[in-house]
Amino acid sequence: MRKFALLIAMISVVVLAKLVVIGPWSGAEQEKFMPVLKAFEEKYGIKVEYRAYRSEDLSKILPAQLNAKRAPGDVIFMWAWFIQDQAKKGNVVDLTGIINEEDYVPGALDAVKVGNKIYGIAYTGKVKPGFWYRKSFFEKHGLKVPRTWYEFKALLENIKHIPGIKAPIASGDGVGWPLSDVTEHFLITFGGPYVQKDLIEGNLKWESNTVRYAMGKLVELLKKGYFGEPTEWTMALKQWWNGDYALYFMGSWITGMVDDPKDLGVFTLPGAKGVVFGIDYAFIPKYSKHIEEAKKLIKFLATEGQIIQVKQGGHMATYKNVSLNDYPPVDREVAKLLRGMKALPDLDDSVGGIFQKTFWDQLKLLWVDPDRLDEVLKVLDEKMEE
Amino acid sequence: MRKSRLLHFLVFMLPALALVFVFVIYPSARTIILSFFDEEGHFTLQNYKKVLSSRDTINIDGIARGEFPLGTLLHNAIWIAIHLPFTTFLGLILAVLLRRTRGGNVLKSFIFFGMVMPMIVGGVMINFLFDANVGIVNALLKFFGVHPRTWTAHPETALFSLILGSVWLWTGFGMTLYSAGLETIPKDFYEAASLDGAGPITQFFKITIPLLKPITVVVMTMTLLWDLKIFDIVYVATQGGPGGASNVLAIQMYNYAFVEFDYGKAAVVAVLLTIFTMIAAIPLIRTVGEES
Repeated sequence: MRKFALLIAMISVVVLAKLVVIGPWSGAEQEKFMPVLKAFEEKYGIKVEYRAYRSEDLSKILPAQLNAKRAPGDVIFMWAWFIQDQAKKGNVVDLTGIINEEDYVPGALDAVKVGNKIYGIAYTGKVKPGFWYRKSFFEKHGLKVPRTWYEFKALLENIKHIPGIKAPIASGDGVGWPLSDVTEHFLITFGGPYVQKDLIEGNLKWESNTVRYAMGKLVELLKKGYFGEPTEWTMALKQWWNGDYALYFMGSWITGMVDDPKDLGVFTLPGAKGVVFGIDYAFIPKYSKHIEEAKKLIKFLATEGQIIQVKQGGHMATYKNVSLNDYPPVDREVAKLLRGMKALPDLDDSVGGIFQKTFWDQLKLLWVDPDRLDEVLKVLDEKMEE
Repeated sequence: MRKSRLLHFLVFMLPALALVFVFVIYPSARTIILSFFDEEGHFTLQNYKKVLSSRDTINIDGIARGEFPLGTLLHNAIWIAIHLPFTTFLGLILAVLLRRTRGGNVLKSFIFFGMVMPMIVGGVMINFLFDANVGIVNALLKFFGVHPRTWTAHPETALFSLILGSVWLWTGFGMTLYSAGLETIPKDFYEAASLDGAGPITQFFKITIPLLKPITVVVMTMTLLWDLKIFDIVYVATQGGPGGASNVLAIQMYNYAFVEFDYGKAAVVAVLLTIFTMIAAIPLIRTVGEES
């Protein structure tokens, strides 16, 4: 009888030791993440179940669950500001000592630290390098990559007159982040890399001359109709690929979402000295039932997992021990583009909360009514204060 | 004997009363209390002051310029002002017209689909209806030379697009209730009116509308309540944007609670919505009272 009870207990342990990973990737992105989890399962013999949740949705349900001392997953990918916030509330497992901070891109872990303690891992990141184009489209229409702001505007004017083009640049929409990505690129280019950090830390007003100047450049293009009407971003991707638009501002994950990545080319706004490097962060909730197993997984994700992930394409490692040879050719191109550039955190992901939602919403307004820039900047300042 | 009656009363009523207390009275009272306290647990009116003076609730600048957003209070008022008469009138007209029409019941079923559909799906469909690339609205307007645009993406048309979409989704409710109401009017009334020389229009205004008054009260009250708590289709279609141009009270409450995590402000909006809902429910309660 005792043996039987022991057997049942052992089976229960094995069955219960199934880890749940919650991440933001679905569809093609999820398929590229699954080999990482499979490699972990094979190495440690621990089963892992993956559940896809958008961070926007998770941010609404997770605080209540953590407050109730419940965890929907053992390893959860989430925004850095959220992890830091929950760490301060005592809801996150301390990962200091699990990973070596020096093995990562400088500053990569700053956003998930409270004091000297590390509460999250920096997984791979996505670079938002600039405007993507189809090399075949540029060749067909005799277009060239611009080297100055004036060449960029001339390029847009040329594209506008190509028959069948809806607008030179596709505007991805949905919840609003594709618009915020392109806006941040303008802020960094025309305000300088430090504008991004100053805005995140609240040291710079949205109504300041620096921001107004940078936003003015964007508004100039919006008023000339160089940007298309905001369209759901995956639909806009298809339209851009089919030739309805010539350029599309998107993160490096785009390489994994098109039929022929070899046909992709990308350029930054002329004069840009920094790009956003949006890192995916993960943490272990304090109320996980398998904290030790989850620590093994999170360490694996932060180290070996990154090598497997970058091989799938579309991801850039934060782990320094990933070799350039591990990247697919198209991602190496992105890596080259980043030489000499300052890697910056994503603005709205860093600030988070109601500001993030407002930022996305106000940009939707600016896109269709660029004359309301003053009002948009005023609202952003108000929400930043809140 | 009295004790026995009291015991029976308690046995039968207690489960229901317990449920009402747990799920209605306690949460309502807790929400009202929450609206008067800050995070530290001190009594305050600041939550009310913050919500009522917020640009999200009433946007004075927008009102002065005549530009959206005007604020959630006005957006809900506009919603009611357009949606309520449209759905009530359309429901009545469709019920009357389809009553004697061949295939009327099939048509009614199609119109009722809007009601059966989950409102989340309704919101997605509204997005498609008004989309520049695939929307049927743009396809129709092209005939009149109107340039295609995504109507929900522009501040001046976003709210109206959602309201029109919700008219399509909600008309089936009024139509169904009126259809049932029409069956209760005795045919003799119409026959007698015909003998007296009254035409269809006179019969409609002198017999149909007055006798359907109780139904009209129910349709209007329920529609008003639906308009006040409108959330799902707005959340899915526009999230209250662009720039808050289609924001409504329920979305504002949701944002306070689950984006800002400011439960005090969320409770204030909930209290306001409850007050408006109670005011709207009074005619319904009175009518039910009169009938009984």
